[in-house]
Amino acid sequence: MSRFFTTGSDSESESSLSGEELVTKPVGGNYGKQPLLLSEDEEDTKRVVRSAKDKRFEELTNLIRTIRNAMKIRDVTKCLEEFELLGKAYGKAKSIVDKEGVPRFYIRILADLEDYLNELWEDKEGKKKMNKNNAKALSTLRQKIRKYNRDFESHITSYKQNPEQSADEDAEKNEEDSEGSSDEDEDEDGVSAAAFLKKKSEAPSGESRKFLKKMEDEDEDSEDSEDDEDWDTGSTSSDSDSEEEEGKQTALASRFLKKAPTTEEDKKAAEKKREDKAKKKHDRKSKRLDEEEEDNEGGEWERVRGGVPLVKEKPKMFAKGTEITHAVVIKKLNEILQARGKKGTDRAAQIELLQLLVQIASENNLGEGVIVKIKFNIIASLYDYNPNLATYMKPEMWQKCLDCINELMDILFANPNIFVGENILEESENLQNVDQPLRVRGCILTLVERMDEEFTKIMQNTDPHSQEYVEHLKDEAQVCAIIERVQRYLEEKGTTEEICRIYLRRILHTYYKFDYKAHQRQLTPPEGSSKSEQDQAENEGEDSAVLMERLCKYIYAKDRTDRIRTCAILCHIYHHALHSRWYQARDLMLMSHLQDNIQHADPPVQILYNRTMVQLGICAFRQGLTKDAHNALLDIQSSGRAKELLGQGLLLRSLQERNQEQEKVERRRQVPFHLHINLELLECVYLVSAMLLEIPYMAAHESDARRRMISKQFHHQLRVGERQPLLGPPESMREHVVAASKAMKMGDWKTCHSFIINEKMNGKVWDLFPEADKVRTMLVRKIQEESLRTYLFTYSSVYDSISMETLSDMFELDLPTVHSIISKMIINEELMASLDQPTQTVVMHRTEPTAQQNLALQLAEKLGSLVENNERVFDHKQGTYGGYFRDQKDGYRKNEGYMRRGGYRQQQSQTAY
Amino acid sequence: MASRKEGTGSTATSSSSTTGAAGKGKGKGSSGDSAVKQVQIDGLVVLKIIKHYQEEGQGTEVVQGVLLGLVVEDRLEITNCFPFPQHTEDDADFDEVQYQMEMMRSLRHVNIDHLHVGWYQSTYYGSFVTRALLDSQFSYQHAIEESVVLIYDPIKTAQGSLSLKAYRLTPKLMEVCKEKDFSPEALKKANITFEHMFEEVPIVIKNSHLINVLMWELEKKSAVADKHELLSLASSNHLGKNLQLLMDRVDDMSQDIVKYNTYMRNTSKQQQQKHQYQQRRQQENMQRQSRGEPPLPEEDLSKLFKPLQPPARMDSLLIAGQINTYCQNIKEFTAQNLGKLFMAQALQEYNN
Repeated sequence: MSRFFTTGSDSESESSLSGEELVTKPVGGNYGKQPLLLSEDEEDTKRVVRSAKDKRFEELTNLIRTIRNAMKIRDVTKCLEEFELLGKAYGKAKSIVDKEGVPRFYIRILADLEDYLNELWEDKEGKKKMNKNNAKALSTLRQKIRKYNRDFESHITSYKQNPEQSADEDAEKNEEDSEGSSDEDEDEDGVSAAAFLKKKSEAPSGESRKFLKKMEDEDEDSEDSEDDEDWDTGSTSSDSDSEEEEGKQTALASRFLKKAPTTEEDKKAAEKKREDKAKKKHDRKSKRLDEEEEDNEGGEWERVRGGVPLVKEKPKMFAKGTEITHAVVIKKLNEILQARGKKGTDRAAQIELLQLLVQIASENNLGEGVIVKIKFNIIASLYDYNPNLATYMKPEMWQKCLDCINELMDILFANPNIFVGENILEESENLQNVDQPLRVRGCILTLVERMDEEFTKIMQNTDPHSQEYVEHLKDEAQVCAIIERVQRYLEEKGTTEEICRIYLRRILHTYYKFDYKAHQRQLTPPEGSSKSEQDQAENEGEDSAVLMERLCKYIYAKDRTDRIRTCAILCHIYHHALHSRWYQARDLMLMSHLQDNIQHADPPVQILYNRTMVQLGICAFRQGLTKDAHNALLDIQSSGRAKELLGQGLLLRSLQERNQEQEKVERRRQVPFHLHINLELLECVYLVSAMLLEIPYMAAHESDARRRMISKQFHHQLRVGERQPLLGPPESMREHVVAASKAMKMGDWKTCHSFIINEKMNGKVWDLFPEADKVRTMLVRKIQEESLRTYLFTYSSVYDSISMETLSDMFELDLPTVHSIISKMIINEELMASLDQPTQTVVMHRTEPTAQQNLALQLAEKLGSLVENNERVFDHKQGTYGGYFRDQKDGYRKNEGYMRRGGYRQQQSQTAY
Repeated sequence: MASRKEGTGSTATSSSSTTGAAGKGKGKGSSGDSAVKQVQIDGLVVLKIIKHYQEEGQGTEVVQGVLLGLVVEDRLEITNCFPFPQHTEDDADFDEVQYQMEMMRSLRHVNIDHLHVGWYQSTYYGSFVTRALLDSQFSYQHAIEESVVLIYDPIKTAQGSLSLKAYRLTPKLMEVCKEKDFSPEALKKANITFEHMFEEVPIVIKNSHLINVLMWELEKKSAVADKHELLSLASSNHLGKNLQLLMDRVDDMSQDIVKYNTYMRNTSKQQQQKHQYQQRRQQENMQRQSRGEPPLPEEDLSKLFKPLQPPARMDSLLIAGQINTYCQNIKEFTAQNLGKLFMAQALQEYNN
């Protein structure tokens, strides 16, 4: 049949489809398409192309119609608008056009539009009458179409040579349109049927003529064959309608016969088709015998209604007695898959169908190849079940998915001769030939990655404080097991790239878990534990550290995408930090130079980086490296958005600033709850390290005007504490730290200690560490040392000398430690004192200026600069020889700096009194 | 404290020793045409101001109020006062004028002097030379010619000597403020320096004879114990605060000077450009003349080179004035303290 006919009938079928849906609604909306799906018997790929083509072409024809209407009423503005839309639509349809050739109706409208515009352009009178907008649109459109038509020159000329035939088409088209619209009204079968018949009768005549013109497109030589081919490619349901309707004619059989001998595949397909058809007809006959004599349209209606029983009889996928072969099953599979992603397809039913298919396939011993293929598709449809990206899988679905993947893995492990891969083309698949290795298209890695993502999604969407979460979390072991299996599989068969990917998955499931077993093993010396225990421990698997090491090293060596390596490094560092291997973690962080360019990474990687930095800081704290801990945590904590930066929750504050879309994206980035880093712990670690650094520093630079803050946040907390009108005993973690800081300021380490380490704080913070006691002893020690330093800074001006033994008693530190701390302070010129060895005392030099003296010094400095500035003003008035003065002044100021060190006393007495 | 003050005599002048004298001298010298030569304050007013601060002022917060009284010849007698309510955020729509009028009307009903003769303000370590004070005193003095501002320093008072000073803007400054022109030239023309901004008016505290008698009587009865503040040797805190404040002002001053410096540099640069332009134009004209063409028209130079906006100098004047006050304070304080220290030393030696 003619090309246009297919498009035309398509529009008809569309409308009939919509009608169909309406009719079947009472039965159950989604099932409406099921029968169609089952009766579908065209090849999958072609069909997809075809329907896309139809869709595009319909779009084009609609636009063309509006343009024609606009032309009729001389609305050039409208024309221009529509023309632009048309151009866009054409661009969309480009891929189809490339395949099918430029549609004639498109050329026609281009030519007509140009002629029309030229006509308007010539018509000076009319132009004058036109309103401004129209005139403007006219000139623009004229230019545009001229430019546009240059690309279609040859087509247009050929069209212009023979416009008549197209006009003929045009008439038909109009008719069709009207038919389509009337169909949409879907109240009168008679009219549409009549139109249909009319169209049919018209078609051959137009088509035969057109066919001659279309020689370059199609090389058929008989009407029949062309018909056949069109039928073959045209695949919409309406085509099957028309086929059906024609099936009553004898032509059908001949068509099949003609079609049949082309390929083996086709033959089978044809056979199946026939079987299907037979079955369908049989069905219909049995159900609706009374409607048998109805016309074609009636048949169509009938079929729709037939959908209900069909669904019920779903188990009967194949007609009785059909020989179930590979081809048949694959056909069926394709059939089912065609409906995938379509509106109104019942996804649950689809999954069921697929599962049935697997059953049938396995019952009939079709070989593992087919089963693997179907399994792949089942999993894919399970993933497809939720159309929305944000929603997560239902538990039963999830379970099904896990089982399915497990089964798939079983098969793959059991049959090493099956090759799976994304790169295997549909055509080169080998599902049945057992002699050769079986080849199946599909990627197990992608499926598993998707599964992992689904798992994350489930975890994200479950309330972390519910029992449900725990239940879900139990699946994690299963997920890990699957990943491990896939890893083993890929290690044998996969490419390095794939191995890297699966390794990363493995790492992502390992890095955040604290390896208690390894920890235990480390704690108990090998000779202490019995041999059997050790063996058992070894049997249970390698240390996660070793595992991480192995996986990461492989990725470092083999990975070529930056992202996987970055993630692996970060996870590796995190893992090191989690297990208190501070120096390895730090070195890895420094060597990777991630700090320099992490801001260019994508948000999830940045979140991972933040998590790693935080873990690193906490690790440093556990090792007693307060300074490192503070530095590592500074960035995250100072922003005040630690929650957001770690992907552990959205801030309410910025909720108004972002729109829904952004929020969704951010929500998807959230880290599941079991990976969370305790924020209170984080803040406490930060504040305590800040306290240990800041309090001695503050004491040392009490009167320094240019003192800078080490930690802004800590100061903020102090200020908040000061602002409190009434100071009760501390409640929250922050209050504890603030209270401890105050005690430390006075050098009262015992109070400080009792504020930092007590029942409340243990429960809130310290018990969260794996080695809580170790951390606490470290902390006490740190508090003692820093309190000693603070005490010396604050009260050194009061003492002439102080015995180290007294100090050691006061702070409960042993004498050598006190000695070393004081020596260090003296060396760093923090403390102006000397040690008297025989008496074990610290002798103060009293060289530090008092507060007033300090102030006076600062004032003198400021006045110096003031005078200098003033003199500069004077220079301006005097003219040029200011440079001389300035040089001198610099010398003076240098001198002054020198004086400050040695002879401050003199100077001070000059200024203060 | 006040009682002790009273005790020394009903007509004692303000305790300002050196500054007071200097200010007085200048005040007298420059304010020949000034309406007020002396301020006579009722004991009641002094006590009321002190009480007001004691109850409402805290730290750096400042309390203010209205002075009432009348003018007798060249003497301003302040016989009563009432406070302004403290400002808080939630009564932003509070109408001060309305409040003042109401208060004065009510006072008039009970037969109290209701003539508005100025206002008082507390100060924190003598930091009162501000723009706000200048502006409000200007508007007072503009409306009521003889009005004064009383500055009460609670900290000094707490140390043992009542510090209450009356200030007026000098006529020169009044002129300048009226003109609202604070450019360097205007100030130069007006011959205003920081010393000539405010004139201090001598204060006399007056009590009725009955009160004086009562005072004498109380003096005899009161114990000596509460007089020790005067002899306190602790100086570091006060001095430190003063230094800190002084330092801040010096910083401000420095900034101001830098600003002025930039202005100067910019003007001179512009001047140079102007000069160059003129020269070029002249040369061109000469060439044209030699060729017999008409000279180029003179263009408006001020359009080509827009004169730069000179920075307002009033702020720097105020800062200088403030620095001056601080310096006086420190000088005064240290002088007293040194005296005390010497005395203590002598006592110690004597005891030994």
